[in-house]
Amino acid sequence: MHALIIDDSRAMRSILRRIVTDLGYDTTEAEHGQAALDHLEAGLVPDLCLIDWNMPVMDGYQFVQRVRDDARWRDVTLMMVTTESEHGQIVRALAAGAHEYVIKPFTPDAIVDKLELLGLLVAEVPA
Amino acid sequence: MSIAESSFRYVADLVRRETSMLYEPGKEYLVEARLLPLAREAGDSDVDVYVSRLMSDAAERRKAIDALTINETSWFRDNAPYQAFTEVLLPRAIAANQATRRISIWSAACSSGQEAYSLSMLLDQHLPLGWTAEILATDVSTAMLERVKAGRYSQVEMNRGLPATHLVRYFSRVGSEWEVSADLRRIVTTQHLNLATTFPPLPTFDIVFLRNVLIYFDLDTKRDILRRVHARVAPHGSLLLGSSETTLDLTDSWEREAVGRVQVHRPVQPAGAFGLAAPTRAAV
Amino acid sequence: MMLEGPSFTDLHAVVDEVWTTFLGPEDPLLPALPDTGLGEGVTWSAATSVTGAWNGVVTIEIPDLVAQTATERMLGLTPDEVLSTEDVADAVGELVNMIGGNVKSLMPGPSALSLPLVARGTIASPSDLTEVSHLDLTWAGSPLRVTVLARRDAPAHTLDKRESA
Repeated sequence: MHALIIDDSRAMRSILRRIVTDLGYDTTEAEHGQAALDHLEAGLVPDLCLIDWNMPVMDGYQFVQRVRDDARWRDVTLMMVTTESEHGQIVRALAAGAHEYVIKPFTPDAIVDKLELLGLLVAEVPA
Repeated sequence: MSIAESSFRYVADLVRRETSMLYEPGKEYLVEARLLPLAREAGDSDVDVYVSRLMSDAAERRKAIDALTINETSWFRDNAPYQAFTEVLLPRAIAANQATRRISIWSAACSSGQEAYSLSMLLDQHLPLGWTAEILATDVSTAMLERVKAGRYSQVEMNRGLPATHLVRYFSRVGSEWEVSADLRRIVTTQHLNLATTFPPLPTFDIVFLRNVLIYFDLDTKRDILRRVHARVAPHGSLLLGSSETTLDLTDSWEREAVGRVQVHRPVQPAGAFGLAAPTRAAV
Repeated sequence: MMLEGPSFTDLHAVVDEVWTTFLGPEDPLLPALPDTGLGEGVTWSAATSVTGAWNGVVTIEIPDLVAQTATERMLGLTPDEVLSTEDVADAVGELVNMIGGNVKSLMPGPSALSLPLVARGTIASPSDLTEVSHLDLTWAGSPLRVTVLARRDAPAHTLDKRESA
């Protein structure tokens, strides 16, 4: 399984990368929505995108809108991982097509729980 | 001051049995840091004295586990019991209560209330129009009951096991926390109750969640609790224990039924009740 | 004119959650003794602005040692691995991003959070900002400070933190 990690913070990308690789995922990273979109356009088909909201060039909300509008990426699961935690922001993101939402700060267990809800825990985790 | 090895091993075993959480050698300072406030509250001079208290005090064991398993609770914990609730237990209760159109549920040893409120969310989604439901959330800790009444949870707690759609539908922000909606809080009532002692007057329940708490009690008390719970469960009702718990070695008065990935316990009626003989225990 | 900011309790809850989640629960965040400065030596400062229904800035100031430890923990490095300045700036920026983002959600909305600004040294506050809240804390023996400032010339709004479900 493959995860595309989209956050302008290298530290945050590193944290998320460690969590999902422990679960058996391969990963690709992008610093903002446009870079992520470039990966998709180039043929990357991730199972999961972990998406920050506030990023330069193209933010996470715009990325979600762009991806959900495109039939090529209909099966990609979109999970926001962000400090945006107002009720209205979460509603907006879900309405735009995000499947799940994790509020920063989060523990690794939180990501695992959400992936379990989404049926995205890899069946066999490499030793 | 540092915790004795035997004390640490006892605590590590206790936590591992109950929560699967591991306190490995090297984490002694953490156990000590988390138990010291409880030791002081109990009037013990140090953690080792407190740990020996834990060996015979179920209520303190509960507090110790809570302190040692911070952030180990979640919404819809283990998921399968909630699926069983939605797919089998609730429909069964609805079928049995056509006359009253009322469902009664007990969340025993409710802690901070995530189990009770998880169930209330499912009721909101699946209870037919015109029906009422009541969830009684009980605990031996009045501090916990206050938390349940307030229905407020931190962001970190909200991240655990709760679908985002449920978050926005059933919660609103209050300061740095999230608060359960008034509609759901209306379904949940709290009551102080110590499982190890005689119960106060209680309704008859259609469904009882008694998860991950029997482990704190010795064999005789476990049997006694199950006997007293049995008296409060409707003939058509169900009891759910923790995923690693069973009544198998404890009592004949429950039948086990597999529902999805969980074991549901049905009360066996005394021989002669309703003209039925007591069924033989099914091979497991 | 009353300037708004988060309550001390809420600010403390936010900082505590961010800190313990990403930097481990082993060392708790404790209140600093009164009149403890940030110590001699290099301090990292980071700021993020909130613009909208509430206008303010959230800053953190941490000594180099704290910044380095935080960076190691967040990047999952061992203490002997070399940290670049970019690594530290990035980690410190993410800390202020998380604290600032959560402060934003405590204040009236809607509003937008800026990208973080990180400096080695002090970031001077513009003169139109007034401090409304601050925390002086100790972590593993080192001091750190979180400050919330609000813009003086922005209109005050009635506090309405409850959003409807």
